[in-house]
Amino acid sequence: MANARYTDLQLDALRELANIGSGTAGTALSSLLGCAIDLAVPSASALELADAVEAAGDPADLVWGVVVPVSGHVDATALLVIPDADATTICAMLGADTDTETGRSALGEIGNIMVGAYVGALATMTGFELDLRPPQTTHDMLGAVVSSVLAAHSDEQELALVLDSELELEGEACTLSFMLLPTPAGVAELLHRIGLGD
Amino acid sequence: MGELAASASAGDVLVCVGLGSCIGLALVSRRGSACGLAHIVLPDAAGRPADRPAKFAEQAVPALIAALGPHGARAGGLDAILVGGAQMFTTSTGMDIGARNEAAVRAALGLAGIPVTASATAGSVGRTVRVHVATGNVTVRDAGAKEVGLR
Repeated sequence: MANARYTDLQLDALRELANIGSGTAGTALSSLLGCAIDLAVPSASALELADAVEAAGDPADLVWGVVVPVSGHVDATALLVIPDADATTICAMLGADTDTETGRSALGEIGNIMVGAYVGALATMTGFELDLRPPQTTHDMLGAVVSSVLAAHSDEQELALVLDSELELEGEACTLSFMLLPTPAGVAELLHRIGLGD
Repeated sequence: MGELAASASAGDVLVCVGLGSCIGLALVSRRGSACGLAHIVLPDAAGRPADRPAKFAEQAVPALIAALGPHGARAGGLDAILVGGAQMFTTSTGMDIGARNEAAVRAALGLAGIPVTASATAGSVGRTVRVHVATGNVTVRDAGAKEVGLR
């Protein structure tokens, strides 16, 4: 029902794009932090707004959210969600503290590097020109972060196409979740370029 | 998200957790025990079908008033409390849905003749709102902060 907008084949293809993108993003993070990264197989799902927020986890959990707008042939929003404790661990690996401006900016930079790698991989595969705008970092409740990003999208449509990837730092029990939310026109562009357009 | 609830049962606490740009609209009857809470996501439907009763502000306000009817509350006897409508990110243009949500909810309340007696809105912080049906008390908690009474 919820996936009626996209066929299974299209979602498979988008998942594969997400796989390559998040693999590249994981490698970038791995070399930044100097540790191995495990990647879960990404999911591509077209979800109704409320379902997408529910799928993200407990809305009351405090998280760090880094938003990076992507523009060009495809407009999208990338959202990196890092649970509180994990953000502390990651910042410590970089010698920073999440309570300081340096820590906040380090998390923004991690978002920037990961989205840059992810989007760079997408651009190489598709031949699109894609640009990043500066990251915005916020520390708030998971529900507030995810719903606000999705609501900004649903102004144009009911379904959010969520390309979701989870990365785990080896040796440190840390999970980052990475979402790419292309606009409907952006999804159409992507599908068209890989020969699966309508 | 997009849901609403009305109750007159003293044991009930109505909650919206993690409001960002969304609005938690509480309607509390001045006399009697009926309370309602709606989790409003967007200002207007713009011709789209409403799959959830409180998704759009313009529909959520009448829907919440209607839900309070069986509990003996009428629009003329209700106070409104607004929570949420924050701007979590300032990136793209037209993204300040929070402010548009608040304006749309206030306009719809104005049409229904319901006064807004308290609010915790705007800014860039996520919030959780609780409506205690037993007392008609409404509390708000900002992310990482303590619970504060609004009514």
